[in-house]
Amino acid sequence: MANLSTIDSISHYGPIVVLLVMAILFGVGNVILTTVLGPRSQGPVKGMAYESGMNPFSSARRRFHVRFYVVAMTFLLFDVEIVFLYPWAVVFGSLADESALRPLFLGRVLFFLLTSVVAFTYAWRKGVFRYD
Amino acid sequence: MVVSELHSLVLSHFLFTGAVLFIFGLVGFLCRRNLIMMFLCTEMMFQGVVITLVGFSRFHGNLTGQTFVIFVLTVAAAEAALALGLVVLLFRRKRTLDPEAWGELQG
Amino acid sequence: MTESVILEKLATLWPEIIMISGACICMVVGLSPKQAVRRSVVWITGLALAVAGLLLVAPHFGWWAGETSGGAAGLATAMFVRLSVILLGLLLWLTSWGVPDLLPATQVAEAAAAQGRPFNPSMVCRGEYFAFFLFSLTGAMLCASANDLVWLFLALELTSLPTYIMVATGRNHMAAQEAGLKYFFLGALSVAIFLYGFSLVYGATGTTVIVSTQLQPVSIAGYVAGLQGEFPPLLATGLLLSLVGLAFKIAAFPMHFYVADVYQGAATPVTALLAFVPKMAGFVSIMLLLSVIGWPLPVPVMWVLWIMAAVTMTVGNVLGLLQNNVKRVLAYSSIAHSGYLLVGIVAGPTTSAGTLGQGLAAVLFYIVVYGLATIGAFSVLGCLRVNGEEAQTYDEISGLSRRYPGLALLMLISILSLIGLPPLAGFVGKVYLFGSAISGSFIGLMVVAAINTAVSAVYYLRIIGACYFGESRIKIELVATRAGRLSAGLAAIAVLVLGFRGGWLVEATREATRSVSVVDVDTQPQVAAPDHLSSE
Repeated sequence: MANLSTIDSISHYGPIVVLLVMAILFGVGNVILTTVLGPRSQGPVKGMAYESGMNPFSSARRRFHVRFYVVAMTFLLFDVEIVFLYPWAVVFGSLADESALRPLFLGRVLFFLLTSVVAFTYAWRKGVFRYD
Repeated sequence: MVVSELHSLVLSHFLFTGAVLFIFGLVGFLCRRNLIMMFLCTEMMFQGVVITLVGFSRFHGNLTGQTFVIFVLTVAAAEAALALGLVVLLFRRKRTLDPEAWGELQG
Repeated sequence: MTESVILEKLATLWPEIIMISGACICMVVGLSPKQAVRRSVVWITGLALAVAGLLLVAPHFGWWAGETSGGAAGLATAMFVRLSVILLGLLLWLTSWGVPDLLPATQVAEAAAAQGRPFNPSMVCRGEYFAFFLFSLTGAMLCASANDLVWLFLALELTSLPTYIMVATGRNHMAAQEAGLKYFFLGALSVAIFLYGFSLVYGATGTTVIVSTQLQPVSIAGYVAGLQGEFPPLLATGLLLSLVGLAFKIAAFPMHFYVADVYQGAATPVTALLAFVPKMAGFVSIMLLLSVIGWPLPVPVMWVLWIMAAVTMTVGNVLGLLQNNVKRVLAYSSIAHSGYLLVGIVAGPTTSAGTLGQGLAAVLFYIVVYGLATIGAFSVLGCLRVNGEEAQTYDEISGLSRRYPGLALLMLISILSLIGLPPLAGFVGKVYLFGSAISGSFIGLMVVAAINTAVSAVYYLRIIGACYFGESRIKIELVATRAGRLSAGLAAIAVLVLGFRGGWLVEATREATRSVSVVDVDTQPQVAAPDHLSSE
């Protein structure tokens, strides 16, 4: 059974392998062909970032303001808290309507959310969400 | 259909992937000279652990490993926030991410 | 079934719940617009610690019929560890009384608020400091009641993560931030390593429960008991990796590189915390993990720990000789003491019935005594300033006895206890610890430890020499906080009392470890051992 399914599943990947090989051949082939066949001319105008466009006036690599990082971090933390709600929701949904555990479970998740509210209050007071 | 394909993955696949991620992360941590890259390497080690745990969880047929994974991911996120904070703090003072640049503490 | 496990567990955790709530309150209250409210976070922290301590001992005295049950370590060990963390936590609380107030950013913000301008909450980290302080202590307490690898992992992280921030923000100096960064990166590495170990242990046994209980009959200890002496390589590798990762928390050999830099860079009260709290958490975790396989340890594990212990103490003491900075010296002494403590772990509970036959009890006793002495020494250092900076080098504390004889005396007591001179508590601890090594016939390790103790006396005596016989060339100032001096005084008194009348604590540690030493064998039928590693 195990061997059979292994062989089966490998044969399923056959077309994908063919596709990958074709894609690689096409990509690499194009690059090789253009370098071999195409004409070449170098110059200051050719080397510009936007040929026949606006002249670049400063580096495109700007540093972001620190507040973006702070918001990113805050987002990351609150985002991960949501993960815990999924298993809770699955178990809660499977409890019977009149089960004594229902209020207990609800209370617990509310306590959990309360801790995030504390964190949110803290972040707010600390000025994380201020944009002036 | 999907299930039968998943079953063709045996435990050793998971373990191998996990171990490779863990070791790549470890080697990267020891060799890299950029704080962000070093941090990403520790994250990679965490992901190696996560894959190992999920593999074992499937092998043993219980959910303990997957529960563990959720907690590992949470702690990894907390560490990521902490690392970003520390690195930004230091970058503003030193203008570089090379750990060799800090040499205040020598005995 | 799981439901009752959770309920039973939660009922035992009231002290921890109080401390976590206190930490949350500190976080929010520390940012209040009213100055008096802001300043109250110190008191809230103290109150949370005191209430937690009372709740912990209340069932014992019958004041309150709270649930009492321990984790894998057993009720008594968990009780001992939690109580000692709270008591030494109170000392650490006194030590770090004024730390966040000394930061320039805090002073600027407070001065602006005092002149009637609006208070800028983003500049002050008083609330955070004390909240993280409470979080870290709670983590160490939770380690003691762990009976699950997931729990243990989360408790260890709760101990460590706040300390990274405390190191980086506790002092306005480039060195503090560098130290915080180093500490964090090595910490993240160590976490990854012991997590990988945990995942392998789970893989080998199929469970993360450490010791069987009525509600959770399948456990790692039960699995090991069912092996009858054979030891699968997967489990051995897992345990070994966990030990290596935990070496970071206790500042032992393969992961000791950060210690001197971090201890030097952090604010001195934070350093005092680092010397005790993570070490306690780490040693309790190591005891938990090893209690699964039981003593006498299997030969390979025993040798790994033997080498770890010997190398740790030697490295600590030899490098300690080369330092000029007292904080670095105490850091290397912290490494060396971890080495001594590992001796007790190697010996474990031996068959000898005498007082000196209990390695684990000796570890618990010694770690408390070490914590007291080192908190005393760091508290004295934390009181001293030279040109507005912390006094750190031998030169800077030289001639301390002439300016501040009281502080010098407290330093003397703490340092003598660290050396292990009679009649101080450090001596009792060393006798207890090395005695267990002899009972377990680890004579070689005992000799290494004895030589190391003699070597360590050299650098400890240099500190005392600087305090008592040095010329005072540099003007030392006192920081205006009485709490730090009070903490040093209390620590010194405790060291003296335990030295003369320490018998009750020895008894307490023996009681505490009675349950650890016996591995639970009466388990239900176990999960089938995975004999090959493929699922089909």
